[in-house]
Amino acid sequence: MFAVEISNITKTFEAVAAVDQLSLAVPEGSIYGFIGPNGSGKSTTMRMIANILYPDSGTIRVFGRERSGTRSGEIGYLPEERGVYRKMRVRALLEFHGELRGGRNVTAEVNAWLERLGLAQRADDKVETLSKGMSQKVQFIATVIPEPKLLILDEPFTGLDPVSADSIRGAVLEMRKRGCTVILSTHDMGVAESLCDSIFMIFRGKKVLDGTLASIQSSYGSDTIRVEVEGGAYMLGNQLGELPGIERIKDMGQIQELRMAEGCDPQQVLRTLAARARITSFSVVRPSLHDIFVRIAGPQPEEAPVE
Amino acid sequence: MNRTLLIAKRDYLQAIRSKAYLVGLILFPLLFGGGFLAVSLANRGSAKDLRVAVVDHTGVSAAAVIQAAEESNRKARSGSSFGSQGIPRFSFEEVKPEADHTAQLLSLSDRIRSGELFLVLDIAPDALRPSGGSKHDLVRYYTNSSGLDQSGLWLSSAVNDGLRRLRLAQLGVDPARVPELVLDVDVVSMNLVTKDPATGNIVQGEKKNPIQAAVVPLFLVYLLVMITLVGSAPNLGAVAEDKMQRVFEMLLTSASPFELMLGKVLASLGASLTSSTLYIIGGLLVLEGLAMFGLAPLSLLPWFFVYLIADVLMLSALGVALGSACATPHDAQHLAFLLFIPILVPMFLVTAIVQQPNGGLAIAMSFIPPFTPVIMLLRQALPAGVPWWQPWLGLLGVTAWAAAVIWAAARIFRIGILSQGKAPKLAELAQWVLRD
Repeated sequence: MFAVEISNITKTFEAVAAVDQLSLAVPEGSIYGFIGPNGSGKSTTMRMIANILYPDSGTIRVFGRERSGTRSGEIGYLPEERGVYRKMRVRALLEFHGELRGGRNVTAEVNAWLERLGLAQRADDKVETLSKGMSQKVQFIATVIPEPKLLILDEPFTGLDPVSADSIRGAVLEMRKRGCTVILSTHDMGVAESLCDSIFMIFRGKKVLDGTLASIQSSYGSDTIRVEVEGGAYMLGNQLGELPGIERIKDMGQIQELRMAEGCDPQQVLRTLAARARITSFSVVRPSLHDIFVRIAGPQPEEAPVE
Repeated sequence: MNRTLLIAKRDYLQAIRSKAYLVGLILFPLLFGGGFLAVSLANRGSAKDLRVAVVDHTGVSAAAVIQAAEESNRKARSGSSFGSQGIPRFSFEEVKPEADHTAQLLSLSDRIRSGELFLVLDIAPDALRPSGGSKHDLVRYYTNSSGLDQSGLWLSSAVNDGLRRLRLAQLGVDPARVPELVLDVDVVSMNLVTKDPATGNIVQGEKKNPIQAAVVPLFLVYLLVMITLVGSAPNLGAVAEDKMQRVFEMLLTSASPFELMLGKVLASLGASLTSSTLYIIGGLLVLEGLAMFGLAPLSLLPWFFVYLIADVLMLSALGVALGSACATPHDAQHLAFLLFIPILVPMFLVTAIVQQPNGGLAIAMSFIPPFTPVIMLLRQALPAGVPWWQPWLGLLGVTAWAAAVIWAAARIFRIGILSQGKAPKLAELAQWVLRD
């Protein structure tokens, strides 16, 4: 059973196709990560799922029902550019949002969430007196009262300190445990790798990745050498021509990542490197999500040969 | 609770708890009452004796003119609705003409400038025997007060009265009978005679009460205008502010754009009805306290509220829509004139409508829907009244217009709240209305 089924949706603004013939299926109870560069169509897709925008063509079904413009409390949506009535007091604001979303036992839920996210002491303060992190927690709570069946979070961790981010992450995981389906977008590849069951990448309005992290990485194969040498990166040389079979070198400081071209023999690369420097670590690995993201959305090799 | 009502409740509570609302609630009666108080105080301030110098070049007219003027002044003071303190008392001195007339007028003008005199009346030698060609400018007066005061009207009557008495005396009429011959009669303005539709009896028109005839209609219209503006205009900036704070997107999964807009419009309506009800109750209590409850336009109050509801719905919806199209409250200020047009145009016409409440202009303007609430209410409140069908026909137009405005506003709002960048031009707003 899918929580969200998207079939061939297209959304155009002026002459620009923000989302182009996109299809996607989000299984119920999963955490689905949306990644992609700024302006690639993530937020537009989320807004269409949340019923805020309507596709020009194609269909979106949520829990089997086509979106028709009707609102219900089964979807909680935390937009990227989010704000709340700053002059309201925290508790009143959350109760307002909860009632608006059709909540019945709103006061008890508000109290429980305030307690859980450490805001109980600030319940009667005006929102404008809260720190940015606290405000974001309040916005999160406003999204999850009453508890939705589908939670859509557009960059929920942006601007949060690690402690606040952890508390939101914990809340998301707990909701997933209770059966809630979560769609979240992020620019933090670490979050996508560690938190999401499946990852979807959209680039220039089109789907370019969709699947579990393992399946995505598998499709790229083990084409990456991670190497550490005494003396640092300059011992390897910085020209691609000096390392046959290597099409990209990424200097990460203590570690260098080398991307092998098709047919490249890692043993040959090892021998070449060993002739130049003392190697302390050498491993052939799958590309990270970050690396895959950059391969798709970053400048092409001819545009920037060495990072 | 219904989502629209939830939004309306939140916005209503926020509105009536705001300092701006509470200050406005207190300020309006202070300003309106203060205006009357200022007029009253100004009249009291001018109620000191004012000295008038009479330069009589006929040699025989001064005494008769002064007598007539004093009688007129006394009568005016005793008959004033503001009491004798409302009209100043004039005292007169006769000044013998000097050979150098111009120099004498300069000297008297200086006395006016110093405050010693209020007015100089200069009666020409031929004033007693005006002929067709030389009738004008035979009596002049010099004063430092504005040309808008009523000295001219009052003086003209009094001077002519005095000169007529003198002429009659010169024709041999017994001086004792002259006052009786030139005695003025009161000319009283009456309401029209009507026929009671229930009994068929003819009802004699009552004497027009100046307060009922002018003050009550103007009060009702100003109240309507003020409450409409105070209730509707803040939407423009408030919605732009909410948009800037990114409040709407959080709400849009729970409520549709139309529910959001309607909630805001109903909140404005609630705040407007609250303040107008308070003012009306306050006004009725004041009239009761002054034993003038009979002046209360009770039959007009339902129409007042109907027009208020129509006006606030139209302008609030427009304000919400325009605010949603703006990126910042500052941008919204540039579109404020669109909100004021339906209110300010009728206000420019108030004088013309009071003078000719059933003239062509008044009737035509009262059927233009954006202007109907203000102009029709004013016409209904004036003593002349309007045919019974006109308010109903006007209401029909206003209702259709309000529905159209709300529909168009909702079309703009649904796009405006998610739009970014600079505020659209009017042509773009029109495109938003028509876009699918």
